[in-house]
Amino acid sequence: MGLLDAVFGKKGQLASAAEEELFDDDFQRKLEYLALVSRRVFAGRMRAERRTKKSGSGIEFADHREYQPGDDFRYLDWNVYQKMDRLLVRLFEEEEDLAIYFIIDASASMAFGDKKKLKYAKKVCAALAYVGLANLDRVSIVSTADRVMDRMPTTRGKARIFKVFRFLKELEPEGTTNLGDALKAFVAQNKRRGLAVLISDLYDPEGFERGINVLRYNKFDPFVVHVVDRTEGQPKLNGDVLLYDCETGEDREVTVTPGVLRKYAEVYDHYLSSIDQFCVTRQVPHIQADVSTDFDELILRVFRRGGFLR
Amino acid sequence: MIFSGLPLAQLLAIFGVAALAVTTLYILKLRRRTVSIPFIKLWEKVVKDKEATSLFSKLKRLLSLLLQLALLALLVIALGDPRAAASIIKGRTLVVLVDASASMQATDVSAPAKTRLDAAKDEVKKVVRGMGGSDRMLVAQMDSSITALGPMSGDTSELERAVEKVTPTEARADFPRALRFAIDALRNADNPEIVVVSDGSLGPAEDAQGVVHTGDIKLTYVPIGQAKRNVAITQFSVRRYPLDKNRYEVMLEVTNTGPEQEDIELGLYGDGALVDLSKLRLRPGERLPRFYPNLSGASRSLEAKLQPLKDSRDELPADNRAFALLPERRRAKVLVVTGGNTYLEAALLLDEYLDVTLGSPRDYVDKLAAQTQKYDVVIFDGVTPAQPPRAHAIYLDPRPGGAVPVKVEAEIKAPGFDKIERKHPIVRWTALDDVNVAAGRKLVPEAGDKAVGASQEGAILVAGTRGGFKFMALGFDVRRSDLPLRVAWPLLLLNSINWFTDEDAQYLSSFRTGDVWRVPVGGQASQVKLEKPGGASELVPVHEGRAVYLGQRSGFYKLETQTPGGEPQTVQFAANLLDEAESAIGPSPELVVDGKKAGTLQGFQIGVRREIWIYLLLAAAILTAIEWATYHRRVTV
Repeated sequence: MGLLDAVFGKKGQLASAAEEELFDDDFQRKLEYLALVSRRVFAGRMRAERRTKKSGSGIEFADHREYQPGDDFRYLDWNVYQKMDRLLVRLFEEEEDLAIYFIIDASASMAFGDKKKLKYAKKVCAALAYVGLANLDRVSIVSTADRVMDRMPTTRGKARIFKVFRFLKELEPEGTTNLGDALKAFVAQNKRRGLAVLISDLYDPEGFERGINVLRYNKFDPFVVHVVDRTEGQPKLNGDVLLYDCETGEDREVTVTPGVLRKYAEVYDHYLSSIDQFCVTRQVPHIQADVSTDFDELILRVFRRGGFLR
Repeated sequence: MIFSGLPLAQLLAIFGVAALAVTTLYILKLRRRTVSIPFIKLWEKVVKDKEATSLFSKLKRLLSLLLQLALLALLVIALGDPRAAASIIKGRTLVVLVDASASMQATDVSAPAKTRLDAAKDEVKKVVRGMGGSDRMLVAQMDSSITALGPMSGDTSELERAVEKVTPTEARADFPRALRFAIDALRNADNPEIVVVSDGSLGPAEDAQGVVHTGDIKLTYVPIGQAKRNVAITQFSVRRYPLDKNRYEVMLEVTNTGPEQEDIELGLYGDGALVDLSKLRLRPGERLPRFYPNLSGASRSLEAKLQPLKDSRDELPADNRAFALLPERRRAKVLVVTGGNTYLEAALLLDEYLDVTLGSPRDYVDKLAAQTQKYDVVIFDGVTPAQPPRAHAIYLDPRPGGAVPVKVEAEIKAPGFDKIERKHPIVRWTALDDVNVAAGRKLVPEAGDKAVGASQEGAILVAGTRGGFKFMALGFDVRRSDLPLRVAWPLLLLNSINWFTDEDAQYLSSFRTGDVWRVPVGGQASQVKLEKPGGASELVPVHEGRAVYLGQRSGFYKLETQTPGGEPQTVQFAANLLDEAESAIGPSPELVVDGKKAGTLQGFQIGVRREIWIYLLLAAAILTAIEWATYHRRVTV
């Protein structure tokens, strides 16, 4: 049948109907395709393995640097000393697997509008996780709301994709969004730094900046996948209504007129552009994931955008 | 300002209660629809902007309440039917007489009206729309009769419907009758006014009762029409020749009623086929008679048509056609009981429509006497029957004794027609004054009989009726006079036969529109079916053996009736306008009645009603529309 069948055996292992619906055969074939495409996109520039410029136990020479007291004498380049009368230490590239953390927002707002955003977020998460697993990276998933709700322990290898599926399938939206507090807990729990892919609608009453900054300040490499449902910018409302927040329950009396709707659309667009602006100025890789876009197309955009694979 | 509807106190009470209810409804908090949203923070900016104008919003809501209260006030005041005190006493009572005579079919009007009558209807509608709130009006059609087309009303739509009912006629207008109707309708009415909408060819306002006096009633005249050019057929008559009923002659008169010379083409048609066509030139006001003698053929219906030639005009088509019907020829069965009379037989040969049977007195006694009901006429020539025949009878030289309807007395020498009842149909067109008679017998008529001819000694020519059958008795033997040598002899015989059979040579070839027609019909029916020129039919009453109908359209008519034997019988006749006064279509600029000149129309302004409640309702509707628009545009919320 394909790679997945070869790797995972029977597809019947995707147990529940809901799981099959979300991560069905078609989805799995797309994952396989995306994994292949990701290799082709980055072939010749990067290999599957990640390397760090770190003096030490590597086997490939990378560079020299000045000797400093305390350096291991074994790495002194005596040939250079003989020719140039300078003490230089040889540096080797140390092979290292990358830690990729998928932080998926499972607050109630992600379920707004028939759970479209959450479903989309799960698909994106599963696809990127598969690519990471296929690249032998260490993949971990946490779900957050106003705290870390649940976590999938670090795992590696393509065979673990069903673990990812199962984790994502069991993810239920609840609670309010507080990315700042949630990600503080996340960084405290995960000492090993790495790529932190934040998949969220960024509807944080305290401000979306706080959460991203927590990752930045704690030396994680944040990658923001901003899940957007454009219909939320054009609500079908008219007349006298009482609006209430699906997370906080906070309400406002509003008389909706065409003018009010225009104003709201402006505010919504400004909110999206403020997220763009923030990420660009902070050099945070960022992609806007519109739920109306095909998810595989979005994944390819993620690859092309760069930052996810290095 | 007074309230003619509900009193002021009641209006104030209604307004108070309703205003309280409206205000209470405004105070009630609006229950809003709850809607879930994903992120309230995004709405806060929008809501803040709205809150910044909350004071203005409150003012707008107040404006909305004030609009509602104003709306309520308008409705309540409308309930009171307010009127200006001055307008109450200014209500007029109008009778509008719309001339629907033939001249109103003239086409000298501008589009979209096609005829003067259309233009008149438009004018009346303008008057209706310009009526005041207190005005009342009655619309009546004026033709040869007067017809009210609706009740006295102030309802414009009802009055406009009445105006639409005005239909054209081809008859003259009976203006005095219409005026008397209007005066009667306006008796004891406030501010009475008669409005005459006409072209003015109405004739004097005078009838058999004298001049019509309008008294204090205001008379207004709305003139219609402007052109004068018209050529009309003003006479049209046809008759069969008395001695040759296969032939007939037509008399026709064409009149130019206009002020200019006109060239026309005049056609005469028999049963639709052209009989004669001629081109005529008529000077202004000229009457041109035309005779068509010695016409023959099987035609029964005759129609004359005229049409203007190039450069000539004829504004009234209604008088360009005339219709006539020739009397129907029917074979009359005549039994002649004679010992032989060449003069008698020869005279009867003149009319080929007579079916003559000759019989000797012996034959009559033997067999013919029992069969007299088969004949229309029995002529006894020097013979006196024992029993009166069951048919009309002519007794020539009757003898005393027997069943002679009159008493025959002693012979008189050389009687003459010293006295003649010239109006009797049997002596029409005859000259009997100098007839020489050798000897005759005096006839003694009974009561009801007519001594048509008499000598100094007594009657010698008697006509009358016995037992439902007519008779004529001549008291001498024609062979002993010079009567057979005169034209009067066959005329006397044929006149008598025609009189018996109702085939009157004085037959009317057409009736005149606008008259009440009394058409003889057979049978005992109380009403008969009349088929009119357009094909429509209606039942008309029969009074004393005649169908009575007021005809207002020219053309051919057909009466269908049932004979006592159950067989349908049809009587046809024609009707024509033939009225020079109606054909003179030049409109009259003024109307004078009872020495007073009619005034012009005043006080009617289209679109201005004096009923204030209409405007109040209109204002309420506009306010409702404003409130609706501002509410839905979220201006007043």
